[in-house]
Amino acid sequence: MVSEDKRQEILNKLKEGVVNLDEERVKKASHEALDNGLHAYDAIMNGLAAGMEKVGELYDRQEYFVPEMLIAADALYAGLDILKPHVKQEDTGVKGQVVIGTVQGDVHDIGKNLVKMMFEIGGFTVHDLGRDVPLEKFVEEQIKTDAEIVALSAMMTTTMMGMKKVVQMIKEKNPHVKIMLGGAPLTRDVAALFGADGYAESAGNALQEAIKMIAQLRKLGESRKG
Amino acid sequence: MRTYQVIFQPSGRRGEISEGKTVIEASRELGVEIESVCGEAKACGKCKIKLEKGFFERDGITSFPANLSPFQDEEGKFINETDRAAGYRLGCVARIRGDVLIFVPEESRAGKQVVRKAATERAIDLKPAISLHYVELSPPTFHDTLGDFDRLKKAVSEKYNVPLLHIDYPALVKLPEVLRRENWKATVVLWMGKEIIDIQPGNVDEAYGLALDIGTTTVAGYLCSLRSGRVIATESMMNPQVTFGEDVMSRITYAMTHEDGFERLHRSIIEGLNRLIQTTVEGCGLSPKDILELTVVGNTVMHHIFLKINPEYLGVAPFPPAIHRSVDIKARDLGLNVHPCANVYVLPIEAGFVGADNVGVLIAEEPYNQDEMALIIDIGTNGELVLGNRRIMVSSSCATGPALEGAHIKFGMRAAPGAIERIRVHPETFEVNFKVIGQMEWHADLKIVNAKGICGSGIIDAIGELYRTGVIDKSGRMKKELSTPRLRLSDGKPEFVIAWKDETSIGKDITITQQDVRNVQLAKGALYTGAKLMMKKLGVERLDKVILAGAFGSYINAEEAMVLGMFPDCDLKHVYAVGNAAGDGARIALLNRDKRAEADAIAKKVEYMELTVEGDFQKEFMEAMQFPHMKDSFPHLKGIVPDEILNQ
Repeated sequence: MVSEDKRQEILNKLKEGVVNLDEERVKKASHEALDNGLHAYDAIMNGLAAGMEKVGELYDRQEYFVPEMLIAADALYAGLDILKPHVKQEDTGVKGQVVIGTVQGDVHDIGKNLVKMMFEIGGFTVHDLGRDVPLEKFVEEQIKTDAEIVALSAMMTTTMMGMKKVVQMIKEKNPHVKIMLGGAPLTRDVAALFGADGYAESAGNALQEAIKMIAQLRKLGESRKG
Repeated sequence: MRTYQVIFQPSGRRGEISEGKTVIEASRELGVEIESVCGEAKACGKCKIKLEKGFFERDGITSFPANLSPFQDEEGKFINETDRAAGYRLGCVARIRGDVLIFVPEESRAGKQVVRKAATERAIDLKPAISLHYVELSPPTFHDTLGDFDRLKKAVSEKYNVPLLHIDYPALVKLPEVLRRENWKATVVLWMGKEIIDIQPGNVDEAYGLALDIGTTTVAGYLCSLRSGRVIATESMMNPQVTFGEDVMSRITYAMTHEDGFERLHRSIIEGLNRLIQTTVEGCGLSPKDILELTVVGNTVMHHIFLKINPEYLGVAPFPPAIHRSVDIKARDLGLNVHPCANVYVLPIEAGFVGADNVGVLIAEEPYNQDEMALIIDIGTNGELVLGNRRIMVSSSCATGPALEGAHIKFGMRAAPGAIERIRVHPETFEVNFKVIGQMEWHADLKIVNAKGICGSGIIDAIGELYRTGVIDKSGRMKKELSTPRLRLSDGKPEFVIAWKDETSIGKDITITQQDVRNVQLAKGALYTGAKLMMKKLGVERLDKVILAGAFGSYINAEEAMVLGMFPDCDLKHVYAVGNAAGDGARIALLNRDKRAEADAIAKKVEYMELTVEGDFQKEFMEAMQFPHMKDSFPHLKGIVPDEILNQ
């Protein structure tokens, strides 16, 4: 078993690698983690994801911008590729499922991909429908996968209007699904006006919001059982 | 004390205002100038403003009449029932009680907008669609009982060898009267050599046409003599649609979400144009009826709304327009108050977001007749790009957002008196010198400066200078560690002071914030990415020239624009502005009908590229967001930007 000091050292390397946008360093540290017998899940959550969380903070403080976010994401994915095959099923404790996509008429997906990444590292199973997704497709996919959360993205005010329809359509079929909206033209007020359950201002924010929703759902499920 | 969101249009200024302040007080805090002759004594009625009703998605506010204090009797002296119902109030009476969007009508604006859409000197071959033909007819006799129209038709075709096909109905109505007024001597006004659109008594040797450039923000009209080609008058105004949304997307959204939204947009531009026409002709002692033909350029959304075609489908990918080819339509069908038979020629559209304005630029600049590989950038709320030469042409468009025009910039404003338009930052002391619109001297030489905000050209200068002097690094981050009182934290986020409080008329420091830098990075990154992907597609390594079109392009400093990396490296000698080339294109089409055929041909020839679906869009966009670029080299910036900064 690896010593606590060694564990901290490797986790730090992973974290710093992501924060400093250093893909090579992340790769090296990922191999080092496996060689030293660290749990892959530990390395992902307390190394890579912790680094990404810091990147999110820097973004919120405006020290980092979209390019830095994307490069950090690349570094994180490089580590994830190495570590993920070694994650044991029982570690992940699947948090839930998310259907995600950019709505019809909109082909912007940088933001959506960042949110998707946050969900993946957060342990969610993500069903990514891509961009320019027909509104009905979100409903179909939710029913097919029985996902707890549907996350919609739009970059333009014109396509944002389509979100309202999706929210209605999904809520009609399944009122317990939690719907989360995000994208440049949205505000918390607009999301609420459209009948959504959550709003994500940034990628980091999206994961927190999703975890909150899942907790709510679980509570709801338990109280119904009880 | 509660505060509410107050937005002024058309200036786009906005901010939080304490409850209970009057609209005039709010306008002063936000740097908007409203006329007040009586000094807010409720006596002059000059400060009329209009409250816009409804939910405005873009701004996230709901603006209702009840969000202003109730209507007072003294307002009734200046505001009639119709205007009252439309939302008019006096700025010195109405007090803020909730979120409001307020429109300041042209006549109530104190600091007039500087409209930068002057016509450029260009040699244009004169071949208008309107031709004048003087004829003398023999009066009818018992032996010659031919009808008036047939008599005229015969005379015209004999003398001028034009086969007349048609007479427009209103011309027919007046024909018998006019022929007899000057003893069967009359001048026939012919459109495209085939249709009589007017008949005037005696020998007339002048005809007028109007070229219109309908921009998202500004509308310009060029009244031209169709006989000499001379520009008789230039008039411009704010596009009255700005109240419904600042950019094309929010206009479409307005049309989609309000029951009569699209109708209102259409009506507002037609009414606005009629006012513009009236002012233009009055200034020259003419009547609106003297305008015999119009040509129109505008982006695709402006084009559709002007023609009363629903723009809804332009708002979502793949953005197909209702029609590509040019449109000829009678002015009367659109409700335009000009000659009843006047024709309106609307230039063709290339693709979804590359509109008639871009075709206007093309027929003015004719890159398709040249060997050099030219990049034409028309920067507005939407950036339109054309790359090509004699051999091949591609176009694309990108969402630059309104940042480059001063919106969504903390102290951004449109180009109007008081706007900072030029900025220099000292590389060692980081001291700032700037120039304000409406003043000849740079501010360092002035006692009273009274800056109000920063307009688009000032923003480009500011960020170019901050990068050049190392205040912001390649990634756009402001270097907090730098020691100058101008660089400071506000709410934990960095900002750089351009003008100190005592140099402004708004009672606070004017700054460039870190967020402003980020917004410009998105905008310039989008433009660069467009250019780069087009160059890749055509296999072009270097640009031979860069042409900056549009009013904005004419006023920005080309060197600073390249320092920022708004476009790929090019010899600065070959980077130049061409003024309002879209408006020139409208004028060219007005004065030379052969150019209309050329416009249709070129609109068809240019191949449109949808950038966002290109595989490497995201990677290119990411790299292009840095100053001047994450990876591409800029050999022509050597000596302009210090080596240690350029090679970070």
